[in-house]
Amino acid sequence: MSAVSISSLRQVFNPGKPNQVDALLDIDLTIEPGEFISLIGPSGCGKSTLLRAIADLITPTAGRVTINGKPAHQARLDQDYGMAFQQAGLFEWRSVAQNIELPLELKGWDKTRRRARALEMLELVQLRDFADHRPWELSGGMQQRVAIARALAAHPSLLLMDEPFGALDEMTREHMQAELLRICAAARTTVVFVTHSIPEAVYLSNRVVVMSPRPGRITDIVEVDLGATRTDDTRQDEGFFRRITQVREALRRIEATAAPGGPLAVRGVEDR
Amino acid sequence: MSRVRAVTGAVWPPVVTFGVLLVLWELVVKVFDLKPYFLTPPTKILGEFTDNFSRIWQSARLSGTNALIGLVMGVILGVAVAFLVRRFRILDELLSPLATMLNAIPIVVLVSIFSLMFALTSSAPRRLTVTLGVFFIVLVNVAKGLTQVNPTHLELMRSYAASDSEIMRKVRIPNAVAYLFTALKVAAPLSVITAFVAEYFGGSQDGLGSRIASNMANSKNATAWAYVLGACLLGLAFYAISILMEYVATPGGARNRRR
Repeated sequence: MSAVSISSLRQVFNPGKPNQVDALLDIDLTIEPGEFISLIGPSGCGKSTLLRAIADLITPTAGRVTINGKPAHQARLDQDYGMAFQQAGLFEWRSVAQNIELPLELKGWDKTRRRARALEMLELVQLRDFADHRPWELSGGMQQRVAIARALAAHPSLLLMDEPFGALDEMTREHMQAELLRICAAARTTVVFVTHSIPEAVYLSNRVVVMSPRPGRITDIVEVDLGATRTDDTRQDEGFFRRITQVREALRRIEATAAPGGPLAVRGVEDR
Repeated sequence: MSRVRAVTGAVWPPVVTFGVLLVLWELVVKVFDLKPYFLTPPTKILGEFTDNFSRIWQSARLSGTNALIGLVMGVILGVAVAFLVRRFRILDELLSPLATMLNAIPIVVLVSIFSLMFALTSSAPRRLTVTLGVFFIVLVNVAKGLTQVNPTHLELMRSYAASDSEIMRKVRIPNAVAYLFTALKVAAPLSVITAFVAEYFGGSQDGLGSRIASNMANSKNATAWAYVLGACLLGLAFYAISILMEYVATPGGARNRRR
């Protein structure tokens, strides 16, 4: 059974009104368990919208999304996935550990079990000593690690991430990417990851899904066969650069068809 | 202990500045030989303050009680209406313009109206006036705190399939607490000022505001100033207590909460 299955998904905002937006059109995508998928594309191509449709935070105009064979709505009610955003979104009035406990609280876990799991998750993201700190006492990268720990607290099989490292500096970002791969490999988590960065997408993913701007469509899927264990050396690897070029060319093709004036740099996609 | 040092570090510059100003004030009065009714020297005010301390304390208790009762009622009412307004959109549309109108009425007018409604020596008009002033500040801020929630927090809660009441308890209310204390820091000193001002318009003549007015009228400037000093201290006490409450209720305080 596939982890995520999307068929003929269509998303229209404000249908029939002057401000109608065709956000997504004819999206078909199947994600296997344990796969790491990145969604990349120019600003406004609907990659965040697609992620929200998978999360059942918006209701698709047409088409179907299933998670582990269940409708997305049921999967949300069952808390089958964890979610992380560009903003860590920690609750200032809760300690680090209490932040991680929140999804478990809503699942009705008792206090001791929650606390034990929170500490286990903090161990995983190597922040065990910060359990009783307040979020603002942590750096941006540490806060984002707490957010990931929170997303994984209920041991979901699926992790949905919307540019989680977008606000971090380059060094922290590379470190976090390696951390994320380690954590997800350990838990065998399926990941759908929205990003603006081509190297980030290539470094992390088994497949990079390239999307066109409005209406958002999948134009290319680039397979990244860099092996299961990726290290800092991977970033120097010739195969790594080849895949980056491949994704970049896929993005350029979108731009060429969208703007007949010629291949300009695709706006909103970073080469770093 | 660096926190203690930080606090003392923040405290001594204004204290020194204030001290220098007092010395200058005293010197100006002495050097130019100013008449006491024109400008009373600080030493004389301090003398009057210690001489009349028990009476000033009595008046401060009276005014302070009015301010405190009004403050507490205003906070309770403000918080309650904020929840109602948040819960029922229609109430928001009905009450918000009314509350704004109410807030635009000068305190002076309110006291006069309330004074007509109660017995001559009753404290109720003053307390009601304070209540109304506090109510508005608390209502606006708490309603904002319940509504203006971090969108990421809301999306997260939805992804957890949290119910509206869970979102209320775990996101909106904790968020509004910070706003409540912001309101309280404005409302607490305001309640004292309102209580003083209200005393200028009838009622019993034992409060600080009445004493200031009557001593001024009798040209007992130094005594009036001593009561003003008492009024300052009472206002400061209210402000200090509201800050202390915020510090206890929200670890780390507002400094870290509202970036």
